[in-house]
Amino acid sequence: MIQLDNPIFDKFTVEFEPNELIFCEFEPGNEFYVIQTGRIKIVKIINNNEKTLDVLKPGDIFGEMAVLEEEPRSASAIAMEKSRLLKFHRDNFDALLQGNPQIAYRLLVIFSKRIYDAKRRLMILLLEEPQLKVMDVLNMLSEEDPHLDLGGPVILHVTIQEVANWAGMQINEVQKILTHFNQLGKIELFNDKIHVKNIRDFMRVVNSRRKSSFQ
Amino acid sequence: MSNGTQGSQGGIIPRAYKSGSIVYMEGDKSDNIYIMKSGRVILTTKKVEDRIWVEVKENVKPGEFFGVKSALGRYPRDETAQTFGDTVVLVLSLAEFERLILKNLNVVKKMLRVFSNQLRRIGKTVREVLGETDAVNPEVELFKIGEYYYKAGRHKQALHAYKKYIEFYPGNKHSGVAKQRISALQSGHSGDDDLMSGDEDEYSTSSYEESAGDMTDFSLDDEAGGSSFDDFADDSGSRPERSPLSSEMDEFLMDEDSGESSDDLSDFSFDEPDTGVKQKQDDINELFYEAMRLFSEESFSEAKDLYEKVLNFKSLKNEGERKTFEKAHFEVGRCYYKMKNYREALNSFSALLKKFPTSDHAKNTMLYIGIVFEENGNADKAAGYYKKASEMEPKDQINKEAVNRLARLQKNQGRR
Repeated sequence: MIQLDNPIFDKFTVEFEPNELIFCEFEPGNEFYVIQTGRIKIVKIINNNEKTLDVLKPGDIFGEMAVLEEEPRSASAIAMEKSRLLKFHRDNFDALLQGNPQIAYRLLVIFSKRIYDAKRRLMILLLEEPQLKVMDVLNMLSEEDPHLDLGGPVILHVTIQEVANWAGMQINEVQKILTHFNQLGKIELFNDKIHVKNIRDFMRVVNSRRKSSFQ
Repeated sequence: MSNGTQGSQGGIIPRAYKSGSIVYMEGDKSDNIYIMKSGRVILTTKKVEDRIWVEVKENVKPGEFFGVKSALGRYPRDETAQTFGDTVVLVLSLAEFERLILKNLNVVKKMLRVFSNQLRRIGKTVREVLGETDAVNPEVELFKIGEYYYKAGRHKQALHAYKKYIEFYPGNKHSGVAKQRISALQSGHSGDDDLMSGDEDEYSTSSYEESAGDMTDFSLDDEAGGSSFDDFADDSGSRPERSPLSSEMDEFLMDEDSGESSDDLSDFSFDEPDTGVKQKQDDINELFYEAMRLFSEESFSEAKDLYEKVLNFKSLKNEGERKTFEKAHFEVGRCYYKMKNYREALNSFSALLKKFPTSDHAKNTMLYIGIVFEENGNADKAAGYYKKASEMEPKDQINKEAVNRLARLQKNQGRR
């Protein structure tokens, strides 16, 4: 948690009303933000649907990619409630780190997680059979929750649409596969969650296929 | 994994390895971060080249860190670290690593740049695999974001996107339409049809408004007698013809009985149903899954309509269909919940509890009733239902969710 209570930061303070866009996907940007109060939703329009990628809390940083790279925003940030943020320009990045090295540490953690997530997704996308992709999305979601007991049935809070996004597949195709798994008794489908009876079974199947493709 | 002590108090520990030792294996979980002191460490990892995973070996030079990302991100090692020749490494706990780098900001900045670069490269590979070219035009995309929010009736967001478009691309292709939209939004005439004709119009009208319109003109007909579980149990009369899907299902059910699962994918493979999953009015499961798809696309009103069709089924062929029928009661409730039609949501949930008191979904239904009450500011009732849900067997994540919600409610009440 980053404490930037020092009055020296007052001039960097910006406020947002509920539902206000802080920045918009594809908009050029040179600033990054530290949340003082309020929650910020990071969203992306995927297949004409707004998908929430993350909900950020006070102390969290966002928009930092623009500081390290000169690329348009890769997602939109929306204030979920009245929020107070500190807004820093790229040019102030070094100075900010100097005074608040814990921000740098936090960014390292954020990048580590994102790199892992991206790699994990790549592992899914590079599977050949669509059934395996769908299975591996379920595997990935189970791995993400450290509290899940993978030895028993697991409940994954995910919609078919989300599974399709992760797998890079059409929703109809994913639905067909999930329906089939459901009929096999491997999973039970609900609107926004999936019960997997034996996730280790899925992991074993995917891993054995993945391994064989290395050899 | 090596079994050295965690040096959180004793400072940074040097650790000596003989040649060929494994410092850590791919898949290991650990908080340790290493600095290469002397000798040689080789990291074996996998990278994607031309859509294929290839093994890559990387030398760690003296003074360099390794094992950083997996320790910081708290995920399993995605590489194997092995020594070549006698080697000494320094082992750091996360806390020690933090302390160390806070004093060496230049190291952090270098790491950040390396990480950012890695992330960008992986992102690029992901886009390539997905067949998305890198030639996305941010100008067009920014305008499309504005259009998305505009059509969804979310004017604040739309306004922002259009304004940014005008700011960064003042003379470009869509700036005329963007300006029109801005003045319409600011004068409050956002729904005007003539605005829609300004440019190519590939989006449908707001699904939000559609579902809002639907909210009031539906009432759950309370024909509990006509559709109760018992009535179906002995229904052997006019069964509709068996669809390919249902006979397929029977085979799978048989398959499951004898089923030892094997490593082979054939376990999961299947012949395509000849019709695809098109909405077939006479098959309860197909209706149900179509409804589920609509729900996952957030078309809650349309999903609700289909679930209701499921509820109107008069003859259920087997246990599987009975389960689907039962589950549809729950899902109708959740459609209403998502549509914020709380009264109908409660009606549906209580109908399920009345008809199927021992249903597998009873606990989840209790939880949802609690959520509806909580969102409507009735904390006491909400707490009651959360408590009920939390005590129901068998214990799983739903119980946990109920316990968490109950605790949060009680905390909030204590504050007042």
